[in-house]
Amino acid sequence: MFAFTPPRARRKPSLTPMIDVVFLLLVFFMLAARFGQDMALPLSTAGGGDVAWNGAPRLITVQPDTLSLNGAPVTPQTLTEALPALMPTPEAPVLLRPGVMTDLARLVAVIDALRAAGFTHLIVVE
Amino acid sequence: MINVVFLLLIFFLMTAQITPPEPFDVTPPGSTSDAPADAPTTLFVSANGTLAFHEVKGDAVFAALADLDKSAPLQIRADATLKAVDLARLLPKLAAIGITQLALVTEPQTGGAP
Repeated sequence: MFAFTPPRARRKPSLTPMIDVVFLLLVFFMLAARFGQDMALPLSTAGGGDVAWNGAPRLITVQPDTLSLNGAPVTPQTLTEALPALMPTPEAPVLLRPGVMTDLARLVAVIDALRAAGFTHLIVVE
Repeated sequence: MINVVFLLLIFFLMTAQITPPEPFDVTPPGSTSDAPADAPTTLFVSANGTLAFHEVKGDAVFAALADLDKSAPLQIRADATLKAVDLARLLPKLAAIGITQLALVTEPQTGGAP
């Protein structure tokens, strides 16, 4: 039997540098990433112009504390009950007019409530 | 090798900007919407109604937005305390330059009654 070279023991690579690099990468991505996936709320722009209004007027005025439908004060409950009678089709547009003092959070809350009630084509007008 | 990797990492940390910084501090309103915000371009609206898009601010954003690809959706990152009337005034101006697909960026929120 020939023994050309003595069998070498495999060098065990040290794990410490790799752990260092992985830790650094972890810190890097923690700093670079933007946490909390943002959500999006689709908006329709007014002024398409070529679609005729269909059915009864549906104008919801959003004040900071109150809501009114076509000028008559409503609560969120009566609003979602009264709207379907004015809708020719379930996808018909509904106009939302924010009051002067209404902030965006309030408007988004109303849009959320209407979307939850099934009214998806909402147009924000001035 | 570890030293070189470390140096490279520091170099990229210093030079690269993963997301462009926001032109001003914006807190989107909370919403129960469940669609992810994945539009490529974002128009920022501050709490007092200042517009910002990339490097331009104010009414110059409309000229910059008009050069965009209109088939891609535009997302509006507006502050929760913005007066909703300002948003209502903004939408027809965007429609006038041909932007039809809009989305309002919101933060996820569970529950919440109007």
